[in-house]
Amino acid sequence: MATLHLLSRSPFVDLSGASCLRLLGAGDGLLLTGDAVYALQADSRPFAVLSALPADRPLFALAEDLEARGIAAPDFVQAIDYAEFVELTLRFERVNSWL
Amino acid sequence: MKFALALFAPPHAPSSRRALRFAEAALAGGHEIVRVFFYQDSVQLASSLTVSAQDELDLPAAWRTFVQEHRLDGVVCIAAALRRGVLNGEEAQRYGRAGHNLDAPWELSGLGQLHEAAQEADRLICFGGD
Repeated sequence: MATLHLLSRSPFVDLSGASCLRLLGAGDGLLLTGDAVYALQADSRPFAVLSALPADRPLFALAEDLEARGIAAPDFVQAIDYAEFVELTLRFERVNSWL
Repeated sequence: MKFALALFAPPHAPSSRRALRFAEAALAGGHEIVRVFFYQDSVQLASSLTVSAQDELDLPAAWRTFVQEHRLDGVVCIAAALRRGVLNGEEAQRYGRAGHNLDAPWELSGLGQLHEAAQEADRLICFGGD
């Protein structure tokens, strides 16, 4: 069953992202919000891990959170707005928030 | 589609603002919000005594206005609220407290309301963290 995972904590201070990646299966999606977008900081370890994910695990990031932190979305991540966020939650069978 | 939203973080957490932006986008997209459930530290959003700095977003007021304008079911977990000093008139009287800080549109109720909303909605979206 395809699940959309929501992350909101920085990978540099919290292990929820690492736990999430262990559960992320084929067809599952990952949406980075809030400080979780720091995982897309270029040349960082989280960036390397995310960029190496198979293509059947689509990656998304909330555009306003990227902009607020001065991070550009790399080509393997789709930046989305809130309207797209809403529609994204309906594309997957369930949504799991890592609080 | 039907959404149920649950909040977990305090008013100053970015996720509490994100939840409001998501809720606005859901309604703008033609979807329905069956209930917004405020749990754990997010119950502070329903306090009428919170004062925000003038140059900051007043998120408790923004949530109140949003729930009122769209006539949503805004439910605040009663156990989480009481332990954090968020009381309506009835609870203030029950426990002999001098005042209360929770009024309409907010409703104090139990965790069963979150469970029910999750059953009724197509998606339950939880907001917490940073």
